[in-house]
Amino acid sequence: MPVVTFSVSGAGNCVVIDDAPFVYATVDRRGFVMLARCPHRGGPLHLSTPTADGAYLVCPWHERRTSVARLRAQIPAVRRGDRVAAVIPDAALPGAAPDAPASDGSVSLEYRPLSPALARPRATV
Amino acid sequence: MSHVPPHVPYELTGAELRDAVVQYATNPIYLDHDDWENDDNPYRRQLRPQILPHLDLEAVPGRENILNYPSLAVQRLLTCIYEADLVFFPKSGIEGREADFNAFYSPSNRALGERVRPALERYGFGFLDAEVETSGKWTAESLHSYLDSLVPDTAAEEGSPAEQAIRGSADPARAARMWLAQFAPDFLSEASPMIRNVLGYYGAPQSEWFKIIIDEFGYGVHRTKHSTLFENTLESAGLKSDVHRYWQYYLNSSLLLNNYFHYLGKNHELFFRYAGALYYTESSLVDFCRRADRLLREVFDGAVDTTYFTEHVHIDTHHGRMAREKIIEPLVAAHGEGVIPEIVRGIEEYRVLLEVADADFSAQIAWMDDQPELKKLHDPVYEGVRLGRVDAPVAHIVEPRGELSNTHCHDGDELCHIVSGTMRFESGLGSSLTLRDGEGVVIKRNRLHGANIESDECVYEIHSVGDYRKCLS
Repeated sequence: MPVVTFSVSGAGNCVVIDDAPFVYATVDRRGFVMLARCPHRGGPLHLSTPTADGAYLVCPWHERRTSVARLRAQIPAVRRGDRVAAVIPDAALPGAAPDAPASDGSVSLEYRPLSPALARPRATV
Repeated sequence: MSHVPPHVPYELTGAELRDAVVQYATNPIYLDHDDWENDDNPYRRQLRPQILPHLDLEAVPGRENILNYPSLAVQRLLTCIYEADLVFFPKSGIEGREADFNAFYSPSNRALGERVRPALERYGFGFLDAEVETSGKWTAESLHSYLDSLVPDTAAEEGSPAEQAIRGSADPARAARMWLAQFAPDFLSEASPMIRNVLGYYGAPQSEWFKIIIDEFGYGVHRTKHSTLFENTLESAGLKSDVHRYWQYYLNSSLLLNNYFHYLGKNHELFFRYAGALYYTESSLVDFCRRADRLLREVFDGAVDTTYFTEHVHIDTHHGRMAREKIIEPLVAAHGEGVIPEIVRGIEEYRVLLEVADADFSAQIAWMDDQPELKKLHDPVYEGVRLGRVDAPVAHIVEPRGELSNTHCHDGDELCHIVSGTMRFESGLGSSLTLRDGEGVVIKRNRLHGANIESDECVYEIHSVGDYRKCLS
């Protein structure tokens, strides 16, 4: 399982493994790492908005809802300060699909804007 | 069933907390000292109780404020409270110090300490809740990958920021002594916090953990006990090795690091976090000790006993492996993957504390090195204050000869201005200035310092300028 460390905000806040983008998002002040791609048609989940109860992310493309509980559980991660280390399960990578092309093992860092509702709130202490 | 009133968890807040802290710290053994060092008396620890009524110890500081004075006060308090569980005797025996011995281990001191400990721990370590956050469903396999990925931050050849600060210091030997003094609270009672984890019963990992402790204790051969090795290091570097001699020179973060392990060991609900911190400590110490050995021999031209560090280069190779294979993995197998986030959290919290300690120590060495410049800076800053460039509250102080302001720090920059008399301004172990009429020094935020009056009387002013740069045109 690849272990990747990246920033929780700003430049380099998205790690792309085999073309799959992962970001750190926050819902109800609790953070998690998620695949920033809607399971429906690949919409930008990093630009989604949580439902009022925080239970789902609503994709901006087709308003498809994805369970936050499921996303939270998917990728084990630990944030230290403004960086997060995530252990990406093989099942979360595109190569896990039966018809997927072979993994090229590429890892890169990019910037992906997050919808304000998913961005980490600034410390208020 | 008869009526049972609802359970109310224990919590101390507000005036009750403040009064309880003051009651604890006014024990005579915690009052100010008239010397910079404690002389072979492990029970005397200066807590500056006169300041405590003015501190808010409830609102948990964020990381950006963790080196402020209230945090230093809390870490000093916690060190005393935790160490009432340990046994200390003066090297020269307790004769003549019986009253201090009894005062430190008295039921009153212990009970008063325990009463405030939860609130002080919340204040001292609460910032870690915001600094470290685990998420996702961790499995034994993902933990394995994560542990494999851990490369100690300080593995680079150039060393940690603290080590670089020593090498780059204007006085590397002085900086190295200050560094060694920071380890004394931990290394002179080495493994004592850890021992808290081998009491009770929890199966095979308990015995495995005990093996690590056996190593730390030198297999019952006193000359090989790790604390003995460290005493040799201290003495060979020109320092004394009695417990808490250098209490007033401990940095906030040095106490924070040491107290963290007592905190985890004292509160067994944090047991799994301790297991994680243990793994990271033991595995990262190998590189650290290898570099420390080289650094100390370099600084002291080979005339220093570094066996403490070379011993750890060897034994911690085993301890890192033992912590992972014999403690962490069996604990996960026995108690389920639900304990993994706590293990991971312990690792990452310890890494946060290492970062804090590195930054704190480096800043202190720079502060010690910069003393002559900060003395020169007095004149333009004082001029700025005089011209009203900042609205700085001022304290007018008159003190007699021998009045020693025990070490402390401030939450913003201050300017010390001597009106008349002579002051020795202490900025670290082996680092001081003499200030006379019309002179002074810029005191930087969070930097440990103290003062002693060396004339019959000294009249001086402390201007709380906040940011000294605002006083300059």
